[in-house]
Amino acid sequence: MLPNARSEFLAGCRDISPVLVGTVPFGFVAGVAAVGAGMTPFEGIALSFIAFSGIAQLVVAQLVAAQAPALVTLGAVLVVSLRFLMYSASFSPHLAHLPARWRVALAYLMTDQGFAMGMQIYGRPGDRSLRHWHALGAGVTLFVVWQAAVIAGAVAGAQVPAAWSLDFVVTLSFLALLVPALRTRADLAAAVVAGAMALVAAGLPYKLALVTASLAGIAAGVAVERAHRK
Amino acid sequence: MSEWLVIVGAGVVTFLTRASFIVFADPHKFPHGFRVALVFVPAAVLAAIVVPGLAMPHGSLELSTANPRLLAGAVAIAVAARVKNPLASIVAGMVALWGLQSLAA
Repeated sequence: MLPNARSEFLAGCRDISPVLVGTVPFGFVAGVAAVGAGMTPFEGIALSFIAFSGIAQLVVAQLVAAQAPALVTLGAVLVVSLRFLMYSASFSPHLAHLPARWRVALAYLMTDQGFAMGMQIYGRPGDRSLRHWHALGAGVTLFVVWQAAVIAGAVAGAQVPAAWSLDFVVTLSFLALLVPALRTRADLAAAVVAGAMALVAAGLPYKLALVTASLAGIAAGVAVERAHRK
Repeated sequence: MSEWLVIVGAGVVTFLTRASFIVFADPHKFPHGFRVALVFVPAAVLAAIVVPGLAMPHGSLELSTANPRLLAGAVAIAVAARVKNPLASIVAGMVALWGLQSLAA
């Protein structure tokens, strides 16, 4: 590792650390949720290493608990993962020059927080040639802390008293990502329609509400954006 | 058995969406309409998760001040709109929930 690569890597570890305070309880809850849904701790931890996505892990836990069919569960995982398409599209020009193993590794490590950090880092002026080391440092740090928190949650599992309402951390961590994502009137329309639709569609079979509501929200955002432009 | 299918399938889906443009495709080759729609994915998906978490914590609609998660969520939104650090909003929401729950108890 070049000395500059090393310092970029360590800077990535350092710069991502403020968000770890949110990663730890969220990971813990994801671990608890997997076991609470009826998976074994090993299955919950395997899910976390294979998927490495808090939202996807929680959706799987919710739907496994509801005994939804595998295809419906994977459809819901796809919908909540659609945002990765956007992250991937925004990030790809910065990584296009890298060898495939780098791009595969950084894709696997892509998270909401890692994406936000990466866009900020690549937006800074100056030499960009070693900034993938920064992204790797941030990604590896998030990965290690996340998995440790999930393992703790999966092992501690059912021993957390329900009165702590720790599951609410999950809703709150999504809320904390949602609010800053509402920058335009069209974003707001997408959120309002998706939120309202999620309530209206709550009774749909196979837990299809999340998919239905998300698609309705996306359509509303696009419609407002188009109307605004005309 | 079907749990392992879901676990591996979730890994495939999350990896393919993440790797889509970084590893496989050129984003400029995708239709403009598709890219416009992707912009709204975070707002729509997150709202579809958050709103039921606040308004129907037990599976049915509870739009009243007797629902502490609704009020705690409002506190968290107010904090998130003013403070950039996401942790501030999470902590504020949890403290509000615990406070409201202990008042009700």
